[in-house]
Amino acid sequence: MNPNIVETINVAREVAWLPWAVQYFFLIGLSYGACLLSLPGIVFRRPGWAGISRLALLGALVCGLAAPVALLADLHQPGRFWHFYAYFTPTSWMSWGAFFIPVYLGGLLTYAWLAFRPDLARHAQGGGKLAGLAGVLAYGGHESRGALKAAALLAFVGAALVALYTGAEVAVVQARPLWNTPLLPLQFFITAFAGAVGLALLFNRFSVRDAAANRRMAGVLAATQVVALAVGALWLALGVSGISPVHAQALAEVGPSANWQLSAAWAVAATVLTLVLAWKWPGSGLLIGLLALHSAWMMRWSIFIGGQEVPKTGAGYYTYSLPLGPEGLMGIVGTAGLWVFLFILITTLLPLDRLAAGNTDKAAA
Amino acid sequence: MKSCSPPQATPASPSRRNFLRGVPVVTAAAAVAPTPAIASTGKHQWAMLIDVRKCIGCQACTVSCIQENAVPEGSFRTVVSTYSVKLTDSAQPAGTYVLPRLCNHCDNPPCIPVCPVSATYKREDGIVAVDGDRCVGCAYCVQACPYDARFINHETNKADKCTFCAHRVDAGLLPACVETCVGGARIFGDINDPESELARRLKEAQPQLKVLKPELETAPRVFYIGLDERFTGKVEGQGTLWKPRNLPHA
Repeated sequence: MNPNIVETINVAREVAWLPWAVQYFFLIGLSYGACLLSLPGIVFRRPGWAGISRLALLGALVCGLAAPVALLADLHQPGRFWHFYAYFTPTSWMSWGAFFIPVYLGGLLTYAWLAFRPDLARHAQGGGKLAGLAGVLAYGGHESRGALKAAALLAFVGAALVALYTGAEVAVVQARPLWNTPLLPLQFFITAFAGAVGLALLFNRFSVRDAAANRRMAGVLAATQVVALAVGALWLALGVSGISPVHAQALAEVGPSANWQLSAAWAVAATVLTLVLAWKWPGSGLLIGLLALHSAWMMRWSIFIGGQEVPKTGAGYYTYSLPLGPEGLMGIVGTAGLWVFLFILITTLLPLDRLAAGNTDKAAA
Repeated sequence: MKSCSPPQATPASPSRRNFLRGVPVVTAAAAVAPTPAIASTGKHQWAMLIDVRKCIGCQACTVSCIQENAVPEGSFRTVVSTYSVKLTDSAQPAGTYVLPRLCNHCDNPPCIPVCPVSATYKREDGIVAVDGDRCVGCAYCVQACPYDARFINHETNKADKCTFCAHRVDAGLLPACVETCVGGARIFGDINDPESELARRLKEAQPQLKVLKPELETAPRVFYIGLDERFTGKVEGQGTLWKPRNLPHA
């Protein structure tokens, strides 16, 4: 900051991408991360992964269904969402995203349905809550490996496209140096995948408490934290050394801010703590799961809301205080409420314990 | 700070003084025929020159813009950023630096390619505009504008920005900010008209002509004379930004 210049008159531009956007990027990230985590056990049938992958697929489904609602709510003209399809604009990543989301969700829903059909049928036979609906959804309850693999492939391609567009959409914004770094999409992806592992850890903790699955997931989580720290260190090194002008500009923009210094220290501390706990005390599934989810959310909050607190032309920083209405806190609470509703609905049809048990025979026993 | 490249064409558009000379003619002719010199025919390329040395920071432009365009309370399409700058070569401790800001109507506008529904577009006359019937209010353009010139209008829930008062220009009038500028600091015109005052002034000022954030290569159509290098990008200084209070969404 130059103390010889004091800005006496200017205007503060308010945050235009609201907490709804943070919720969307958080949930869709968890969803595509969890979708990837579902593949080893369900598609590749890796030993010891069945329960993890089925819990992950549940997470992908719940988060994937809630995310577009948050995205729609972030539009100031939500009723015009169909314009995305009527006026495709190939130069805009957001325009591509409007097509990638249905590809991903279509693939995910089909994949999840094919994976859970036998479970739905079992629930229908058991006569529990919503058994009639489960019976209809099971549609015979047959297992179709070929179709499942095809649907999983579609979901995987959709997940990759969503990961690509959500990262690129933000990273191409040259006007915001903090966003305009090639490492940002990678950082989004790593934290999203770590968050998905965290979600599966929580599901495991609140269902069968499978210690082996917990250890396996803790190992994966530890690996994600190592990668996150390495990419963070690379970001900093590129910025400090000046090798990469875009990283140097990003660092120069937020480096002098005490708030940003605190955020960076917090992020590093949370990542190191998650790594140490996951590595040394893999049994701490609940704690490391919550830490991973927290880091994924905080990273997005800092990038989106914090990033918009940096004026493009004015001096200093804007100050953001969370409004209590739909444009602020209610957006966060509302999305969380929708998530809880979907979780209850889906786990009523597909009880968590049955999914976590891994194979359906064990669950039935 | 690098100077911008010289405008290729010559302007045509009237300075405020020249325009005022023609007001009786325009007024009388309004019912008869449009004024060809400033009517939008598609051949014009509108631009603005801001002589910072003549700006007195009165904010008349800010107020007239709000009134002309019904800009909601707490939002601004143009504003005169004002800075107190410590002086080292003068007996007085500090001086005031003023910098009128608005949409730069870039020739290479970053806001256009990101718009997911092609609602933001460049008119044939160079004005960057928003199709309000198509805009979904996603605010991607707000993020992409490097000049903080765009915002979401909370009365329309659409992207909003300076239009160079296109509705006035199309009717043969000057933008409201130009018309009300007390110091004559804002000169508006057609860079395709070699006879215009804008073209002449741009040509004369060439050595000291600057644009904001030239390194981004957005090719702004808003040029500045007297632009201090310390103010061409994000200003490194102490911020005391005003934030509207007790307003929805503020």
